[in-house]
Amino acid sequence: MKEEAQKSPAKNVVEFREICKYFPGVRALDRISFRAESGQVYAFVGENGAGKSTLLKILNGDYTMTSGKVLLNGREQHFTCPKDAIEAGISVIYQERQVILDMTVAENVFLGSWARGKDRLIDYNRMLAETRKVIEEFGVSIDPAARVRTLSTAHQQMVEIMKAYIRNAKVIAFDEPTASLTDNEIGVLFRIIRKLRAQGKIVFYVSHRMKELEQIVDRVIVFKDGQLVAEVGRQECTNQDLIRMMVGRDLGDLFQSLERSDSIGETILEVRDLCNYYVKNVSFELHRGEILGFSGLVGAGRTELMRSIYGADPTRSGTVLLGGKKIENRSPAQAIANGIALCPEDRKEQGIIPTLSVGMNISISVLKRLRNACLLIDAKRETQLIEGGIRQFKIRTPNAQKKILELSGGNQQKAVVARAHETNPDVIILDEPTKGIDVGAKSEFYKMICEYARMGKGVILISSELPEIIGLSDRIIVMREGRVTGEVSRKDATEELILQYAMLGGD
Amino acid sequence: MDKRKSFWKNSGFVEKIGLMVALFVIVVVFTVINKNYFSTQNLLNILTSASLTGLVAIGETYLIIAGLIDLSPGSIAAFSSVVAGLLLTMGVPSMLILPLVVLIGLLIGFLNGMGVNKLKLEPFIVTLSAMSIFRGLGYILCGGKPVFISDKSFTDIGSRQVLGIFNLPVLVLILAFLVSAIVLSKTFFGRSVYVLGGNKYAARLAGLNPEKISTILFMISAGLSALGGGLLAARMQSSQPSSCSGLEFDAITASVLGGVAMSGGVGSVGGMILGVLILQCFNTGLIMAQVQVYWQTVARGLLLLIALAFDFYRRNKHQKKMLMQSIEAGRSGAN
Repeated sequence: MKEEAQKSPAKNVVEFREICKYFPGVRALDRISFRAESGQVYAFVGENGAGKSTLLKILNGDYTMTSGKVLLNGREQHFTCPKDAIEAGISVIYQERQVILDMTVAENVFLGSWARGKDRLIDYNRMLAETRKVIEEFGVSIDPAARVRTLSTAHQQMVEIMKAYIRNAKVIAFDEPTASLTDNEIGVLFRIIRKLRAQGKIVFYVSHRMKELEQIVDRVIVFKDGQLVAEVGRQECTNQDLIRMMVGRDLGDLFQSLERSDSIGETILEVRDLCNYYVKNVSFELHRGEILGFSGLVGAGRTELMRSIYGADPTRSGTVLLGGKKIENRSPAQAIANGIALCPEDRKEQGIIPTLSVGMNISISVLKRLRNACLLIDAKRETQLIEGGIRQFKIRTPNAQKKILELSGGNQQKAVVARAHETNPDVIILDEPTKGIDVGAKSEFYKMICEYARMGKGVILISSELPEIIGLSDRIIVMREGRVTGEVSRKDATEELILQYAMLGGD
Repeated sequence: MDKRKSFWKNSGFVEKIGLMVALFVIVVVFTVINKNYFSTQNLLNILTSASLTGLVAIGETYLIIAGLIDLSPGSIAAFSSVVAGLLLTMGVPSMLILPLVVLIGLLIGFLNGMGVNKLKLEPFIVTLSAMSIFRGLGYILCGGKPVFISDKSFTDIGSRQVLGIFNLPVLVLILAFLVSAIVLSKTFFGRSVYVLGGNKYAARLAGLNPEKISTILFMISAGLSALGGGLLAARMQSSQPSSCSGLEFDAITASVLGGVAMSGGVGSVGGMILGVLILQCFNTGLIMAQVQVYWQTVARGLLLLIALAFDFYRRNKHQKKMLMQSIEAGRSGAN
């Protein structure tokens, strides 16, 4: 059947009719209608919480829609669980890889529909052979018998795509597929997406990265506040047009309009020859009022470095001086007491406490300070602090008691930053603070970061988005494979120069 | 008005109404079966019987909310009751017995904590080992035979009336409930327990010390178990090395009945108290209704299953209601 599909691309049509999805207090999707055809790549763009992910979740049966219809090749579909969707020929490839790490590539590719022989037992050799065939078709070098745990993130993602491919999916949707891929890996991914398109698959593509849309997408569907505001051909409009449709405002001079700190003060943080299990002999200085950017590819060791400085991972050797005084952070608690705060890169895994309210998420780091004489938490002072945080960081929530999990990603991130802010640090480390959050919230973060610098604090910014790091940083340190390979001042910073250090530096 | 409403909502009061109704139904049904059930004396008996499970359930509730578990309380209680008996026969003053067994309990809890934090083993494994070790040590210490306690000043602890109606174990239980409720809901430590159970990685990065918190939690659990064991010895006037088996499971059952989620991060002492009462009222009722012992065990299992299924159903309905409200709000354009 697959062979057939290759010879003459099958015609497939997905139709969405008046899709509505309500959550308590939110209209996540509001009468979404459009039609998608074979041989096209459709991008879903919009701010976080605009409804893109919700639509994908309805498509793959994770959510049940409140009202509306999904038609695949003219037939109405009723999905009650992801299995229904997969059987109907719809696969969604998520940001978080859904592979089983301790199974082999072949076992993952055939997950749940393992090839079985006449004896009804699993025919592993056949699975290996068929997986090898797909790997060759994809033109990647993966061993079908390797355990998935040993593969790179990019290859793990490939395994997932193969999984969809082998099931002969008619519709394949990607949710932020390039979030943790290198440029090379993105190239491979795009080649495969084009191949899928040529075979008559319908491809949906959700991404925050405008540049990628130019390369891979045919049509763009713009979401805003749960509504579909536009469906346009990629060639018909510019990035600026799209962003304007998403947010209803011009973001052309996003970075120019920021009020930057004009005076960079004395050294606040100095790191000398720091080594840990990953980084080797890293030294740098951070000044008051300065935004110091850390750039590099995934695996450059930026997060590992910051975790050591923050006391989250042990340091092997090297010294850290804060305000000229040598400090040793053996735990994050010590780092906080010393005046260093960190917002971790993985909001879901390391940032939020999902079971608690927004308010409790904000106050946790400083709760000790809010105790009264009987050692009880002073509820009034806690409420004040939380309300202050919500106002200052413009966290959009109906009240402080709302569960943090019910907020959008950007607002969750704001709460995590608010938590760090309340500790009143001298140095604040922001690790990928804008990852996976919408354009509107991003510009708020940029303002906040600059404001921090103006207050005379030292700001360390890790970001994988080059425009962001160039637009915000006073100075940029580039790392590669655990070492510092370059330092670029604001006036010299170009994407090319930084990438050169990040990819070739040190050789 | 609004503030009042949100207070009730936040305290989980609405969720507890279901439990209260269940408790009420159980009491009514058993009173119909045996009219002696609803008498002051029997209700006090129920409280007395619940005093051991109740103490242990406090520790379990804390631990489960923090995403941990303790399987050793039954063994620790039996062990400490044996120790109490032996100390008395050695002539240790009765006033010192309870403080001493609590101290031993705290030490055992500390060891559990070390096993989890330093050896980096699963709490399930560590406390399963402790369960076996201290059950065995209890038998070894007394040679496998019960120790009878004749010291009147000690056995008095188990039966003396305080405030006219309560005996000491019940008073201890009520005090422990009050203190643990306040600690969990109003102190930094209590909040840390929720944070730890919600996301232990985030807890550490937010400046908490998960190792310290979990060690203290294991100490609380073991300390309360030991206290319960000591009080049991006083009440029974003997130390039984074979007693209290399955105690931890009763305590876990009570916690879960009371809305403590096994996935961590969710629960309250108030709910747990209702869980303990429901379980004990049910148990005593079955005995008074002269249900055969083996069937009592089956009935307990069914109670847990039905309670959780009902709770799940109710939560689902609540979510649907919220959904309808939001649709209404959407229609009227208020959203």
